[in-house]
Amino acid sequence: MPPEVIAQRDPELDARGRTDLRTLEAGLDALQTGDVSSRSGVRRILGGVVPPVILVIVLLLAWQLYTVVAHPRPDLAPGPLDVLGSFGSAWTSGRLPVAVLTSLQRGVLGFLIAVAIGTPLGLLLAEVRWLRRALGPLISGLQVLPSVAWVPAAILWFGLTDATVYFVVLMGAVPSITNGLVSGVEQVPPQLRRVGTVLGASRLQLATRVILPAALPGYLAGLKQGWAFSWRSLMAAEIITVGGTIGFGLGSMLQQSRELADLAAVLTTIITILAIGIIVELLAFAPVERRLLRRRGLLVATAVGR
Amino acid sequence: MSTRTAPPAAITVAGLGKRFAAGGAPVLDDVTLTIGSGEFVCLLGASGCGKSTLLNIIAGLERPTSGTVEVASGNAAVMFQESALLPWLTARRNVELALELRGVRRDRRRNEALALLDVVNLADAAEKRPHELSGGMRQRVALARALAQDRQVLLMDEPFAALDAITRDLLHEQLELVWRQTGRTIVFVTHNVREAARLGQRVLLMSSRPGRIVNEWRIDDTGPRRIESPEVATLAIEITDQLRKELRRNAA
Ligand SMILES: Nc1ncnc2c1ncn2[C@@H]1O[C@H](COP(=O)(O)OP(=O)(O)OP(=O)(O)O)[C@@H](O)[C@H]1O
Ligand SMILES: [Mg+2]
Repeated sequence: MPPEVIAQRDPELDARGRTDLRTLEAGLDALQTGDVSSRSGVRRILGGVVPPVILVIVLLLAWQLYTVVAHPRPDLAPGPLDVLGSFGSAWTSGRLPVAVLTSLQRGVLGFLIAVAIGTPLGLLLAEVRWLRRALGPLISGLQVLPSVAWVPAAILWFGLTDATVYFVVLMGAVPSITNGLVSGVEQVPPQLRRVGTVLGASRLQLATRVILPAALPGYLAGLKQGWAFSWRSLMAAEIITVGGTIGFGLGSMLQQSRELADLAAVLTTIITILAIGIIVELLAFAPVERRLLRRRGLLVATAVGR
Repeated sequence: MSTRTAPPAAITVAGLGKRFAAGGAPVLDDVTLTIGSGEFVCLLGASGCGKSTLLNIIAGLERPTSGTVEVASGNAAVMFQESALLPWLTARRNVELALELRGVRRDRRRNEALALLDVVNLADAAEKRPHELSGGMRQRVALARALAQDRQVLLMDEPFAALDAITRDLLHEQLELVWRQTGRTIVFVTHNVREAARLGQRVLLMSSRPGRIVNEWRIDDTGPRRIESPEVATLAIEITDQLRKELRRNAA
């Protein structure tokens, strides 16, 4: 019997049942979906920015108070104003901008290369089980090894060139990115794979439409950690390898300031390195992560505000 | 409806056996059944008796150890207990994905998805993501997605088990309506006797260890029946008695 015949058995009754069901369901839906009111963007951003800014101001005031009250030796404990002065002169002399630009360029480029290597490697490991068994522990191990340990070897291999710096950055960042992707894929609920199969996805479609998007939070966590490791490894490499054709980065500046026993300049550089790390995190990763998690309902209540 | 002769078979299962570990106890043993096109069949059994296994084998998600399974229309759509919606896609895009994987042209997907969501009365929630929907709404999206597959056979594995009774009651009505309108063949797995008696045209009772079809009830289709109705209650009592007999046999 064709389906239409069943459908037309009693169209009037069916239609009545339909509208009634529609009303009932609409009523239940309204009860069950609470109004998810999200606070306005401006208020949220203010809520996120104000507390840390206040903390920084308080810390600076305390520091200044200490220098005013205790009068420590300025060469051993420069006050915030000394550091600010050092920052100003380093900036106007052009040394600081050059160092920031050099390091940032290397950090970003090194990170991008690490992404380009770590992502396909992660995909390969996630897909090929015996390869994951073989290489997985090694890559996890590499994540534990501080990448500075590679500096001496890299200098012997590549000399005092940019290649040394990039090598160290890659050894720091690639394992994190690869591991993030592999664990992201591992954590994809088996239910979603089954659904993909049931919906008739080919192997490629299953990977691109289901598994990779599902693995995105893990991958993003890996990228974040990869960036942190890139930046750290870069600084370590720049501090150790000075001279040759290696340009003047923040690490080099830190090392130079130490040799000049200029503590204010050292602190200036440290604060700059820290600030760049925070700014990249806040501007590049945090918004992407927030959006990703919010879309999936994984960002329940933001820690900000009541 | 006495003129209605046996419809052509939609699903034919013959001599089906399944064991997960070689040499282990069989989970399914010699299951043979035929499900007619357009039939609404409820598969009932105690927890762990192999209902999901049987359903997964029919769905092609799992291979049988012995015997054959034939789905006349080729493939089957499946709905699980958890809605298994992709959490990063809106309700509409979840349905669209099924259309896309089925090969529907891009410019037609959106309207078709909205039409399917309207079938389950969710047109207004089309742009919501799964986490913004209640459990019942998620299952309705999953139903719309299963319908989007446009397959004659719809396999459902305890799709309403996690829902509260009021929501479940409405979803029974919804599903019945969809069944009557689309003429799909539905195999509905449950361990809720009343649910089976409320929905099925045929109720199959499975035994445990090994899983076999041990009993069957046919229910005259006299239109929608309510879960509180005396007919459903009478049938539920009868089925429960049989189920208990099976359990006693297992204890012996
Ligand atoms: N992948 C598997 N490997 C080994 N044993 C399994 C596997 N899947 C199921 N089983 C076993 O097969 C038996 C039947 O499982 P199945 O999930 O089919 O039962 P069910 O009737 O669907 O139960 P429930 O009502 O709890 O969903 C159980 O004893 C279970 O432990
Ligand atoms: Mg089951």
